[in-house]
Amino acid sequence: MEKKALLFDSDATSAAIARIADAVVHDFKTGELEDFAFVGIYENGVPLAERLAVEVEKRCGYHPVAAKLDISMYRDDVGMRSGLPLIRETVIPFEMNAAKVVLVDDVLSSGRTIRAALDAVTDYGRPALIYLAVLVDRGRTEYPIHADYAGLTAPEVSPKRKIRVEFAEDGSCEVHTVDWGRKHRTA
Amino acid sequence: MSFTWNRKDLLSLYDLRPEEITYLLDTAEEFKKVSQRKVKKVPALRGKTVVNFFVEPSTRTRVSFELAEQRLSADIINMSASVSSLTKGETLLDTVKNIEALQVDLVVMRHSATGAQNFIAKHLKCGVINAGDGAHSHPTQALLDIFTIREKKGRIEGLKVAIVGDILHSRVARSNIWGLLKLGASVTLVGPATLVPKEFEQVGVRVCHNLQEGLADADVVNLLRIQHERQAAGFFPSINEYARFFGINEHTVKFMKPDAMVMHPGPINRGVELEGSIADGPQSVILEQVTNGLAVRMAVLFLVAGCVQK
Repeated sequence: MEKKALLFDSDATSAAIARIADAVVHDFKTGELEDFAFVGIYENGVPLAERLAVEVEKRCGYHPVAAKLDISMYRDDVGMRSGLPLIRETVIPFEMNAAKVVLVDDVLSSGRTIRAALDAVTDYGRPALIYLAVLVDRGRTEYPIHADYAGLTAPEVSPKRKIRVEFAEDGSCEVHTVDWGRKHRTA
Repeated sequence: MSFTWNRKDLLSLYDLRPEEITYLLDTAEEFKKVSQRKVKKVPALRGKTVVNFFVEPSTRTRVSFELAEQRLSADIINMSASVSSLTKGETLLDTVKNIEALQVDLVVMRHSATGAQNFIAKHLKCGVINAGDGAHSHPTQALLDIFTIREKKGRIEGLKVAIVGDILHSRVARSNIWGLLKLGASVTLVGPATLVPKEFEQVGVRVCHNLQEGLADADVVNLLRIQHERQAAGFFPSINEYARFFGINEHTVKFMKPDAMVMHPGPINRGVELEGSIADGPQSVILEQVTNGLAVRMAVLFLVAGCVQK
């Protein structure tokens, strides 16, 4: 049985998403970076990117594209896991060359997902810049990858616990910690 | 969403559950998009080695597998019977055991003997993909056929599929029958009694020896190649007679519903089982089958490689 414990409630995550949106608007729209797109990484980066796009529009009237990215084909652990998840549809409805992109994921842990996402995004073109926004930063990446926007930080959570973000139908979300599944091996 | 693939081999659609077939087709849809991008390559099988071992010669299936492997960034070795030690008297099992000792991850194999791949898969830790064995099974061909039907018609369940030609000797037909029945289509086999024996009815298909009757309500018509050597063996009196009674031409195409799709696994004998104008006409999806074959093989390689535990 996985012992599930609440880490951040929906008020805390809403405030965190608002902070990310404020910072993104500050950098891109009031700053000089101008038009940009969110690229959400499946699973939870996708609803998070959609929610961020709405929040950005509330602040400055500009609704950025919320693209969807599946990174299954770019993972470096094919054959190391017991099974493969279903590949979801990647939807990037804009020209990647010279685009400004904010990658969005729910939790920044080892950084390996982001490494794969960088490969995936750059196969679609040569973006002008790529930033990274995450809801929760565990503060213990294994690669030289760091978030440009982190809504929440959780360095105190033990590596033996997984951080899981759960989105509700209305777009609100809660963050829990759970035990890793039996098959998980650390590094 | 929680469903995961956990087979190290793909030997026959007979072995698969309907949801596994659907999962393969869904995965192939995403791989099809890779080939439509500017960068037509993903690193999914980077560092994996695939051996294409074609004991029975093949051109289109081998090329399709090879390109699929390249698009997935795998390392590739191509072997045929003539360059293998089979010609020096080595047994098949010894040959593949030697290949496996080189730390390969997957063997894609075609063999003229039914069950050859099932036999070696039992003895190998690496994954085995069947690229055609005897008259038994050719799972990736059936998957690409079913993928193409699903893409065009939006579904498989409830469709009526006619397979016309030399069913008796056809692994393409057998694989299609298993896959289509599992996904809820109904299948009619059409051809002369020598090539379409009544015994096929036992698996749950309709057998029909009259072309007009067989095509009447079909949503899909899949034509199989008539091999000239079958005539010499006495299965039908002459190629011309076969073409007249079972070939699709300007006259017999009128037996089909106007929206029925025409499929053919290739290579086509133009003017025998299929008139050129129909093969190149609006109902034909023959070249789309080739395009989809690449996507389906990428999906199969990706899923099977993902389950070979090192």
